[in-house]
Amino acid sequence: MHKYSSLALFGIGRCIKGPSTLPSSGPTPCSLTETETETFETSLFASAHCLATLSNIVYSQLFPLSNMQMMPGDPFSLSTSIGGFTQEQNTNPNPKPNPPPKKKRNLPGTPDPDAEVIALSPKTLMATNRFICEICNKGFQRDQNLQLHRRGHNLPWKLRQRSNKEVRKKVYICPEQSCVHHDPARALGDLTGIKKHFSRKHGEKKWKCDKCSKKYAVQSDWKAHTKTCGTREYKCDCGTLFSRKDSFITHRAFCDALAEESARLTSVTTTNLNFKSEEGASVMNSQHGLGRGLISAQGLQNVSGIPQFGPHGFRLDFNGMEQQRPSLSLWLNQGNPHMNNNNNINSNNSAPDVGPNYMSSCSSSGLPEIVQMAQANALMGSSSMVSNFGVLAGSNSTSANLSLSSLGKRGEAGGTVVDLASIYHSEGQNNNSKPASPMSATALLQKAAQMGSTRSTNPSIFSGSFGVMNSPSSQTTSLNNNNNGGAAMMLGSNTATDFSSLTHSSNSFDQLVMQTNGQLQSEPVKLKLHANAVEHNLTRDFLGVSGGGGGGGGGGPQFLPQELAKFASMGSPMGLSQFTSNR
Amino acid sequence: MDDGEKKEEWKWKKIGEELERERKSMQKTWRSRSRSSESRGGGGEGEGEGEGEGEDEGKWAGKVLRECAKAISERDSKKTQHLMWMLNEVATPYGEGEQKVAWYFLQALFCRATQSGERCYKTLTAVGRKNESFEAARSLILKFQEVSPWTTFGHVASNGAILEAFEGEGKLHIIDVSNTLCTQWPTLLEALATRNDETPQLKLSVLALPLPVPSSLIKEVGQRMEKFARLMGVPFQFNVISAFSQITKEALGLQDDEAIAVNCVGAFRRVQVQERDNLILSFKSLSPKVVTVVEEEADFSISTQEDFLKCFHECLKFYTLYFEMLEESFPPTSNERLMLERECSRSIIRVLACCGGDCCEIRERGVQWSQRLTNAPFSPTPFSDDVLDDVKALLKRYQPGCWSLLLSPPSGIYLTWKDQPVVWASAWKP
Repeated sequence: MHKYSSLALFGIGRCIKGPSTLPSSGPTPCSLTETETETFETSLFASAHCLATLSNIVYSQLFPLSNMQMMPGDPFSLSTSIGGFTQEQNTNPNPKPNPPPKKKRNLPGTPDPDAEVIALSPKTLMATNRFICEICNKGFQRDQNLQLHRRGHNLPWKLRQRSNKEVRKKVYICPEQSCVHHDPARALGDLTGIKKHFSRKHGEKKWKCDKCSKKYAVQSDWKAHTKTCGTREYKCDCGTLFSRKDSFITHRAFCDALAEESARLTSVTTTNLNFKSEEGASVMNSQHGLGRGLISAQGLQNVSGIPQFGPHGFRLDFNGMEQQRPSLSLWLNQGNPHMNNNNNINSNNSAPDVGPNYMSSCSSSGLPEIVQMAQANALMGSSSMVSNFGVLAGSNSTSANLSLSSLGKRGEAGGTVVDLASIYHSEGQNNNSKPASPMSATALLQKAAQMGSTRSTNPSIFSGSFGVMNSPSSQTTSLNNNNNGGAAMMLGSNTATDFSSLTHSSNSFDQLVMQTNGQLQSEPVKLKLHANAVEHNLTRDFLGVSGGGGGGGGGGPQFLPQELAKFASMGSPMGLSQFTSNR
Repeated sequence: MDDGEKKEEWKWKKIGEELERERKSMQKTWRSRSRSSESRGGGGEGEGEGEGEGEDEGKWAGKVLRECAKAISERDSKKTQHLMWMLNEVATPYGEGEQKVAWYFLQALFCRATQSGERCYKTLTAVGRKNESFEAARSLILKFQEVSPWTTFGHVASNGAILEAFEGEGKLHIIDVSNTLCTQWPTLLEALATRNDETPQLKLSVLALPLPVPSSLIKEVGQRMEKFARLMGVPFQFNVISAFSQITKEALGLQDDEAIAVNCVGAFRRVQVQERDNLILSFKSLSPKVVTVVEEEADFSISTQEDFLKCFHECLKFYTLYFEMLEESFPPTSNERLMLERECSRSIIRVLACCGGDCCEIRERGVQWSQRLTNAPFSPTPFSDDVLDDVKALLKRYQPGCWSLLLSPPSGIYLTWKDQPVVWASAWKP
């Protein structure tokens, strides 16, 4: 019977009409008949629930708890906890039997078709403190708050109850005509939501972050931002971390990794990455001023012609400084529609005073220029060449430029090679690539770095490697079988004794080999090689930012170590003889 | 050996001893000066450096250099020689700040005294060019921007002014006459891509300074810009301008529906003094919406020979600040800083030892540039509060306490290093 006493304490008993003969005053318990008890209990329960509901409302005003928490299985515990409450509370005469089910949220963008569409004016939307106390003119956002405040003035106050009937869902539209949310079909279901939307989209941005001076219209947005501003780190594809957005952006724009990425993106669009001899020939033929090179190039495309290569086979201009075109990537692009762009951009080939220091933009000739360039730049010591390996994956001229541009660097070979090795090391790690070669990419690169520092000026590197072209012929099948491993397979029994030549040699080596392989084996190898690059690229987000360095290395650098290894076996700075001895 | 010869010998011996004594005393002086710089207020010995020396005790380089310059302008060869010799003993480009300043200015003074400025400059430039490459230039510029707001100050201010002038425009064309190698533009591209709902298209015509920039270098830069713009989703086109004479409506292919902005960073000082007003007029002929000018704050204009000393003082003051800034911004062993210092040395020689010729790096102060621009006529537009907030936020990201912003109505703002204005940025409307 304690239930009854509790109820009586809150005067609820007074409201309950019915067969019971409850005393109207005092919490004196009296005996009730069974039926009376039953009815009483039902109504009791109902009222208790009303009380609970009422308390919920009050509680939610006073304490920011969710309604659900206040839906007790035991309403009386609730009642006791708010025991000190005044007895003047009105109760809801229409209690619900069950706690209302949790409100369902519509899927975003799909407002309830039965919902009532409410169109508030901008003034109403933006209005805060609509409820004003008449005594002190204090403004409140909610009526409930005002009512509670009125109690302090000893004014009559009334708290609104939760409506008993099924509440019709309300959706709100934006008053701005041009806004997409002006259409009732795109109405928003939440009043706070529409208010925030209106501020953000059509309102004035009054809140400003003092670190990055970004502006916000909604205070909560601003607060949320200031918490995280400056803590966010930006990671470039090359692996460098930045804490400042502006230095990150500037770095990214000039980063080599960007060039590679774009290269791979363009390779995605190319469908034909082969070096069909006819195609290659036609492309090369279209080049300006490369008569000598052309002959050699065409010779190159012929498998049998390869053995002719070597110091003699190449009727190249060994002093072709005036034609330094880092067209390394062009051979890759022979099937690439982008090549034409390169041609246009790089129609001006002259920069003789620059000498080998600056690789001008690629011309569209393929091999011959590569060879020339390599020759022209005696110092292959530039580490940036290694960076061009990424170009292998079908870069356009820019990447080639990027790699070749520092070909003229002198005396920095060793150090930079090591640096690049570490870059590719990290990139290799970032990628999920499987170096199927016997030697890991990292190991290869490190080896290269060890050996690399002294071989800087050997013009015969190229000739050596060219002579070497023949060697893979017997091993092309292995190339076919294994993309990444192919290059490494080429290593065969050859350890990377001449790794230095690889690191120092231009990418042209790689590309020559690639081309050779392409010709020998062409499509499958090339396509596979590129496919790797492609699939790595496809998973990256556009900016490649959030992906971090993950996709950064991508397919490109994967090849490099392989290619390096390949060249190690083949290339020899000492000339053809050394290679032949290896055979 | 007869008497005559003995006498000669004795005379030379005497001179030798005298020189030796002088040398020792000079060394002592220098040592005491540098020692006193360590023990601040410890009072270096002798030489009556007393007046107002307090905190300047360690700054021996400036004093000696000024003395030397004075000796040169007075054509006092003995004194010149002595001072130069003394400086040579203690100056080195690899030492601490004072020693570096001493070294580079000694080099310039020597060139001036021996009339070999032009030759020396050409040699240094050739050496510098030999080691240049895109990678080197890129790493130099980007590293400098990372450690110091010297350049980024101008970038942020200019970009802000340009973006505001371009508000609502769909076709943008920026004429970039500057020494930044386009490092200013990535942030602008990002802002264009993210700030507006409708991304406008941008054409960028660049005249890269200092001339001549190797065409391969600028092409490389251009390609990077194109790639980055593609990444940002901004329709972009890159053009190369090869000479000042090409800054005309026709040569640039300006169209009527394009909104034009001229961005001039570190460029004016490279123009021949008598050509500067013409350049401003050529800008006006393009009918730009805004012209942004950023220059370093110093006055190296020499109109007559007598002004050499004044110019020298200015030069010394400016570069001492610059070297100090470099020293404090970069880590102690920084290749980039060495490169920048070497670049300075070329500039210093050019200013002090090259008279005329086509090499030119006569800086002028903001107020002087303002005068020129006002005469064009252009009218100054103040930077908006948003832009100023951006600049302030930028400065906050660098070394605290050293950098600040100084407003200078009606035209322009200054970046100050330890309360000395060093870089001036401004925006102008026709």
